[in-house]
Amino acid sequence: MRKILISLILPVSVVVILTILTTFTGLIPPYFLPSPSEVIQSFETLLMNGELVQDTSLTLMRVVLSLTVSALIGIPLGILMGWSDTVRDLSSFMVGILRPIPPIAWIPFAILWFGVGLESAVFIIFIGSVFPILINTMDGVKRVDKVLLESAYTLGASDIQVLRKVAFPASLPNIVTGLKVGVGVGLMCTVAAEMIGSNSGLGYLIFTSTSMLDTGSAIVGMLTIGIIGLGADYLFSRIEKEVSW
Amino acid sequence: MITLENITKGYLKYKQEYVALQDINLKVDKGEFLCIVGPSGCGKTTLLRMIAGLDFPTSGQIMENETEISGPSRERGYVFQQYSLFPWRNVLDNVAFGLEVQGLADEERYQKARKYLKMVGLSSFEKSSPQELSGGMKQRVAIARCLVNDPQVLLMDEPFSALDVQTRHKLQKELVHIWRKEQKTIIFVTHNVDEAVFLADRVVVLSSAPGTIIKTFNIELDRIRDRTSHEFLNLKKEITRLLDVEP
Ligand SMILES: Nc1ncnc2c1ncn2[C@@H]1O[C@H](COP(=O)(O)OP(=O)(O)OP(=O)(O)O)[C@@H](O)[C@H]1O
Ligand SMILES: [Mg+2]
Repeated sequence: MRKILISLILPVSVVVILTILTTFTGLIPPYFLPSPSEVIQSFETLLMNGELVQDTSLTLMRVVLSLTVSALIGIPLGILMGWSDTVRDLSSFMVGILRPIPPIAWIPFAILWFGVGLESAVFIIFIGSVFPILINTMDGVKRVDKVLLESAYTLGASDIQVLRKVAFPASLPNIVTGLKVGVGVGLMCTVAAEMIGSNSGLGYLIFTSTSMLDTGSAIVGMLTIGIIGLGADYLFSRIEKEVSW
Repeated sequence: MITLENITKGYLKYKQEYVALQDINLKVDKGEFLCIVGPSGCGKTTLLRMIAGLDFPTSGQIMENETEISGPSRERGYVFQQYSLFPWRNVLDNVAFGLEVQGLADEERYQKARKYLKMVGLSSFEKSSPQELSGGMKQRVAIARCLVNDPQVLLMDEPFSALDVQTRHKLQKELVHIWRKEQKTIIFVTHNVDEAVFLADRVVVLSSAPGTIIKTFNIELDRIRDRTSHEFLNLKKEITRLLDVEP
């Protein structure tokens, strides 16, 4: 309870200060930063016409879909890279080059390869979220206590069994951390992803309202993404605790 | 029978060749109980790891019967010096690991695992996680986990060093009992001269680095050993002196 109260101090003060600066003193003009009451108005409008609910669920769906693809590719690849020096030597240079490229830079190729639509959006979010999952999984497997692996071998386990029954469970906490970071980065990519080929989603909402200078709606979109991120973070932190020993 | 022929093991330490073990020649008969004592850092663990197939000599050969040891096997059980339980498995599932990878059905492997847990006196902890156990208890679970596989050769690296005297003595007796009953070959590393004389048919004394065999003692005492007998104390004295003059 105390923690919740403390964490609310900053956001509440920001809202109060902004209200004073925009509404009561007019020190900040409305085109510069919308007042909290304008944001609430935009929120009401978007809620009433159903746009917000629809955008939120569509974005959530895209992020979950992308994250699933990232996990299906990133976790096995990360395990292989952590397990085998050869696979790591083979791929770490390549991964090192691809990883820093901003997902937005892939937009032209996304359109060329997948056309405009869901696949492109999923591809862009995938590019953002796959690397944290891959790298964390690899690190987890690489750092498994050697004595645990050797114990398993002396107890008669085969390579595959050691991988499945020791390396994987031992690195599960890192894998969950990778997913947690991956969701965060994935959400950051939603604007870029929904710029192409979609006419819905929170990223699209932010993008279009910004271009129409509807800053109130843009902030509603931004805050909604923030809140989704916070929720996802909480969820994965719980899972993290659950799988660590 | 395990044969070590002219074993030398070097490591690269700070880019320099460091010799941990030198010219080790040793034969361990089937069914023998061999103890290895020696100062810290003399290469006892290194020696045991090579017999397990977890590490390989720089030169020389290690044979099990007629074949060169090429890797770990469930026939050569290993109890590690450091804690080695799987932290995400409870005690029972740790002990049952070896049977699980062999593909035994739940019921059969838990039944066997329970038998060995009982033997090390931890029946009431089967649902505990390793983090809830004391150091000595963890080591006892590791011993049970190794024994449940029924390996022909047992390689034990100071398994009792974290235990209090009573538990240690109890487990020493238990180990001798298992060894006699199941005719296993045991190679047991210890710092403790009393323990070595109590357990072994033969005690090998290693010198400090680079480790070489300085002397071998045949312990020709009754199998029911009295730690306070003259012969026992004399052997202890002799081995302790030898270790003490070691620089
Ligand atoms: N992987 C390794 N790399 C480099 N040096 C090593 C390695 N393993 C062991 N050594 C060195 O070899 C020597 C022997 O080590 P070892 O662990 O076998 O000693 P020990 O007799 O078991 O000691 P203790 O009684 O303290 O357990 C030490 O000097 C150690 O630093
Ligand atoms: Mg050692």
